[in-house]
Parts: sequence; structure tokens; C-alpha cells
Amino acid sequence: MDIHQKWKIVRILLTTVYLMIGWLAFTCNIAPFSLLLGFLFSFTLALFTYDIFIEKREVARRALIPRISPLLIYPFVLIFKIYLSSFKMIPAILTMEINPRIVHFRTRLKSEIARALLANSITLTPGTLTLDLYEDYLIVHWLNAKTIHSHYAAKLIKGHFETWLKKIWI
Amino acid sequence: MRLIAYLFIGMGVFFATFGNIGILRFPDVYTRLQASSKCGITSIISIFIGLMILEGLSFVTVRILVITMFFFITSPVSSHAIGRSAYEEGILPWRKEKEKEKGE
Repeated sequence: MDIHQKWKIVRILLTTVYLMIGWLAFTCNIAPFSLLLGFLFSFTLALFTYDIFIEKREVARRALIPRISPLLIYPFVLIFKIYLSSFKMIPAILTMEINPRIVHFRTRLKSEIARALLANSITLTPGTLTLDLYEDYLIVHWLNAKTIHSHYAAKLIKGHFETWLKKIWI
Repeated sequence: MRLIAYLFIGMGVFFATFGNIGILRFPDVYTRLQASSKCGITSIISIFIGLMILEGLSFVTVRILVITMFFFITSPVSSHAIGRSAYEEGILPWRKEKEKEKGE
């Protein structure tokens, strides 16, 4: 058995495990029949989707398995940030004092899932909207831009998200 | 406890109202997208937190949590898709009049 086949089997098994976690969260049921059904369906799905879920070149252990403790704290950081900028959004809607700009900046995250989560977090916080991600650069539409210098914009927009995501994945 | 839950649900309604006002008042695609999807997600989170507090610890709470997670994943993806297609079409974002004159 060569290394490519081994890597394929590991990817299929990892995808199955992640799908099983999703199944358990949805059913809240640990009866044997439910578990067996869940395993069968997640294994069948994993056979089809393992190549999309985990790319062939993503081999770092930290890119696949997250650290648990910061992963549990991250949603609270995100929700707090969302509320903070929602309250800033209301006066902008009422007075129409907006200054929309498009800014570009770099991200230092390496794994695909961490980048996707960073882009999603930026889109989730009111006032910023990720338009595109190519290579290492994020293109962000910013309502009420304070600066167009990419370094300061990155500091203001990414904030704590990147440091937290760096703790979870690479 | 009930009072806190009602406070959260009321906050959700409040944010949704302002989001809709924002859609009507803002000038172009990107800013309208911001107003709609962002105030939408805030109101949804508020309402779900309120429901979770109202329900207490049970299986229903876990299910609400899973639905919230799905909203966290799908809502930014949809607004990102609209924004990206607008950006690739070459639609320029609206800017303040004063700044436009300064630039020319």
C-alpha cells in the first residue's frame, strides 16, 4: 500500500467522523439503530465528498483537527463583536453618514477552513462584507471606512478574529 | 429569566426593523446588502438566544444551537455570493459626493 492510498483512507475516515458529529448533534439520540444508520450514511457521503472536504495537499495535523478549548470560546467572541458593531450600525442607518470603500489586505492563516471562517466572520460582523479571497488577499467592502491604508484596515477589521483562529487551526 | 428572554426577542425585532429601514435608505448594492444581511443575522441571533433562555436546558436547546450554527455558516455565504457577483460585474461602490469631487 503506497502513501497516496493511505492518505485517501485517512481522509475518508476523518470525513466520516465529522459527519457523525453532525448527525449526533441533530438527532440527540444514541440508540444503536440510529448510530448504525448515521454511520452508514456518513460513510457513503464521505466516499463521495472526501476530496472536496479535505484537499489532497492539506497534510498538516493542525489544519485538520482543531484545538477544542479556543474553539468553544470563539463563538462568544464572535457574538460579542456582532452586537458591538450592530449598535454602531443603527446611527449610520438613521443619519446616513456612511463612507463606503473597498479595502484589500493580507491574511496570515494557512489552512483553507481557517480562511473560510475568517471571511465568514468578517461578513457576519455588521459594516464589513467580504467580496473575494484570492491567494493571500481579502477584498473587503467597508461601510464607514476610517482608513484605506491596508495595514491599519486589517488591524481594525480582523481585530481579534485572526489571533483566535490562529490558536484553533494554523 | 423570562424578562431577559423577552428583552432579547424584543431586541431581535428592533434590529430587524432597522435592517429593513436600511435596505430602503441606502444607495447601492453593497450597502443595501450590508444593511439587510447584517441586521438580519443580529436579529436572528437575538431571537434564538431569547428562545434558548426561555426553554432552559433540554434537547430543544441543543437543536436551536445547531440551527444557529447553520445560520452562521449559510448567511454570510449567501451575502458573499451576491457581493462577489456584483464585484465581478464591475459595479463600482457608491461614494460620498465631496470625496468624488476631490478625487477628480
